[in-house]
Amino acid sequence: MTETTKPNPDTDGGTTPPDISAMPFDKALDELRAVVTRLEEGGLPLEESIALYERGAALHAHCGELLDAAELRVQRLVDEGTAGGSRVMDLSPEDGDEL
Amino acid sequence: MEPRGLWDQPPPPPEPEEAPVPPRREREREPEHPSGPTVLSVGAVTRLVRDTIRRQPRLNPVWVEGEIGNVSVSAAGHAYFTLKDERAQLRCVVFREERLALPLEPRTGLRVVAQGRIDVFEQQGAYQLYVETLQPAGVGDLAQRYEALKAQLTAEGLFDSSRKRPLPAWPRTIGVVTSPTGAVLHDMRRVIDRRWPLTRLIISPCQVQGAGAERSIVRALRRIGRWTDPDSGRAVDLVIVARGGGSLEDLWAFNEEAVVRAIATHPHPVIVGVGHETDVTLSEFAGDKRAATPSVAAELAVPDQFAQRQVLRALRSALASSARRRISSTRATVEAERRALETFRPGAYLAAERERAGLLLDRATRAVTARLLTDRSVLTRSSDRLPTALGTRTAAARAELTRNVAGLVALDPFATLERGYAIVRAPDGRVVIDAARERTGEPLEVRLARGALDVTVDAVRDSGS
Repeated sequence: MTETTKPNPDTDGGTTPPDISAMPFDKALDELRAVVTRLEEGGLPLEESIALYERGAALHAHCGELLDAAELRVQRLVDEGTAGGSRVMDLSPEDGDEL
Repeated sequence: MEPRGLWDQPPPPPEPEEAPVPPRREREREPEHPSGPTVLSVGAVTRLVRDTIRRQPRLNPVWVEGEIGNVSVSAAGHAYFTLKDERAQLRCVVFREERLALPLEPRTGLRVVAQGRIDVFEQQGAYQLYVETLQPAGVGDLAQRYEALKAQLTAEGLFDSSRKRPLPAWPRTIGVVTSPTGAVLHDMRRVIDRRWPLTRLIISPCQVQGAGAERSIVRALRRIGRWTDPDSGRAVDLVIVARGGGSLEDLWAFNEEAVVRAIATHPHPVIVGVGHETDVTLSEFAGDKRAATPSVAAELAVPDQFAQRQVLRALRSALASSARRRISSTRATVEAERRALETFRPGAYLAAERERAGLLLDRATRAVTARLLTDRSVLTRSSDRLPTALGTRTAAARAELTRNVAGLVALDPFATLERGYAIVRAPDGRVVIDAARERTGEPLEVRLARGALDVTVDAVRDSGS
């Protein structure tokens, strides 16, 4: 599902802020904290403050959605045989104890 | 029944009715056959053997290690079994009272150390061990190995607190090394699902007790240590090693050196939750974090979503209030600036503006005047060629124009200068209108109708003098 064609928003250099919808919880929370800190420090032009507020609100909403939609994923490592590697197999919540 | 200590019980004295004194009858018979062999009855031999055994201090009391076999329990509640090793068997009895007080029930295949006394059961002509207590074999041995390995690995620095790695605050993927079956995994899943369902658990299954457990655990640790997600390339952030409670033997694999080392040198931080609170395996010393139980390990591994939701609420209100503050401070700034402008208006600001406007007016007036004068000369010339009637009207218009121009010229400050007035300015361009505001020695500029003078204030006199 991860395509290598699009540029990685995490890499440095770009000034555009990373796409919120793809952010993991901790990164979104970190940025939300930073936004609040910058706003609380003050001294920003009104325009920038409003833009920051909107970004913070979006980050907050994203964190809430992540928590609300979260579903624990349980998988199991299975030996890949001769290669010595292993891969994961999904484990549904019901059959875990029957393994 | 009162539980008794394992080894501190003195063996019960032999029953008084069977005193260890050889029966007089046999002894008295001996002289009757002084030359031939002494023939003893079965009972006599048995008693002789019994007495010999009873007098042997090494057999009374005695500790015997062996493997239990042929267990049977009588209707009366006594247990019968054999203790055996590679070379021999020993019949054993545990009477009901002792049996109920045993720390373990005799089971076939169990290796035990039995304590009791050897005696002879005359009816069957069998000597046997009258067991008073039983305990699993190897306990002392295991404890010794535990202490020795602990001392060795401690000296090596394997358990140093400086080796402990911090746990990741936000583990996205957690490896779980445990038995894939049973309550332990189930409990941990429940805890993590409740606290932080944003996690992905990857179970690296292993055998957690019995023969082969040691190798199985080490393999499971290596497997999860090597694993990376084929899509993201990310490894697990954290590993939990877990096993439920059990006997010392059940947990023993977690005291094996290979397992302890595999945990201490694992590429990812490891939480070890093995057994109950009271069990401390060497693996737990080796882990980066020790958990009293597997469920506690799961709790330590992930953040708590309820706490995080509270953090989010606090951040949201901080966000809203700082934005509100920013907007209201802007409003206040605007208001303050408006007021400042108002305070400026009657004063210097407006005066400067007025002067600027005045200068503009000057230029405009001069331009208009010049234009009008040229126009007048044009008119004058053309009027010469106009018919008289028209010439009369033109003359009236001309008079009108001249009046207007005169009015305009009267407004011109430069015209005023023509009347002998001057404009005095301070170096900052301000027009000087109040002597009291000037200081002696200050350079001033005096604009005249033609040219200007740079002068210096010699003295200041107020309006009264």
